[in-house]
Amino acid sequence: MSTMNAAMNASASALSAERTRIEVAISNMANAESTRSANGEPYRRRDVVLQSAPPMSFDGALGAAAGVRVAAIVADQTDFRRRYEPAHPDADADGFVALPNVDQPQEMVDMLSAARAYQANLTAIGLIRDLVAKALELGR
Amino acid sequence: MNGISESEVVSALRRQMTIAAAKQAAAAGNLANINTPNYKAVEVSFADTLDAQMAATHPGHLASGAPAGMKTEEIRNAQARRDGNTVVLDQELLKMTRAGGEFSQAQTALAAKFRLVRYAINEGR
Amino acid sequence: MSISSIVDLSSRLGGTGTAATGAAPAGGAESSGSFADALKGLVESTDKSGEQANAAIGGMLDKSVDVHDAMIALQRAEMSLQLTVQIRNKLVQAYQDIMRMPV
Repeated sequence: MSTMNAAMNASASALSAERTRIEVAISNMANAESTRSANGEPYRRRDVVLQSAPPMSFDGALGAAAGVRVAAIVADQTDFRRRYEPAHPDADADGFVALPNVDQPQEMVDMLSAARAYQANLTAIGLIRDLVAKALELGR
Repeated sequence: MNGISESEVVSALRRQMTIAAAKQAAAAGNLANINTPNYKAVEVSFADTLDAQMAATHPGHLASGAPAGMKTEEIRNAQARRDGNTVVLDQELLKMTRAGGEFSQAQTALAAKFRLVRYAINEGR
Repeated sequence: MSISSIVDLSSRLGGTGTAATGAAPAGGAESSGSFADALKGLVESTDKSGEQANAAIGGMLDKSVDVHDAMIALQRAEMSLQLTVQIRNKLVQAYQDIMRMPV
């Protein structure tokens, strides 16, 4: 595969992966107070697992641009938060409500990190496109 | 007089373009994996010295323009963040811009070279 | 343009082995039939560079060849062709000049 095509694919794969991270972070934040989800439990935080997809060509020198993919979206198994609120409809016998294991500040950090990566890869695509345009100029 | 023939200049410029493209691609791969846990940033490196490359490379004999001994390998002594990732965003973006510049430089020189040769062939017509 | 310099220029445009071997006989032998050989070598190298350009364009289209490599192959083919055409023009002109001479 040509060098710039590999590079372009890598950057494009990052756009897709970081978009997913942003969406999951937003979903976590939106459901931070959902004490009851479809399975009766509080909303459980979701996490995106990224994995590099390295397409090393035979000689490892040319066209080597590792892409990235979402390997899995997993449920965070840390314990739910507990808050003392006896009046809450979902309070247990001791008056505690189980709340989603979502930490708002952490979700913001994750979302910003994903947004920054998205922006950087968008810039990268522009730079790759510029290089290919320059190459084409050689053909006049 | 110059010891460099027309086609050696063309080959040298072509090589510079291939190297620049490879550098930009390596940086693009790093940027794509800026958030991948335990990903180690890579860069384009040359095993041989510059002289060895010049001696080894014959114009037109290589299928690609790549110099012998060019490969992509992990950056040495890179600092890892908590997730094991060693990519520094700003540096990689800068590398991409620089590589674009190097490519552009070689392309401009090569385009001029082609114009010169064509002029000579066509005797100005 | 002397014969040896013509063939030398074509081999210096680079890329094909045929032109390089064509340069060898022209080196010493303007007196032997090397003019035809030199011309033949030139035409062959032009054909070869044309084939290489086609292969390069094909590679560019199926994304196996870098764009700049394809463009360089194109330019080499074009310059090779231009050189051949110019030489042909000069030969035709020389022939016409000779035919115009009063016997």
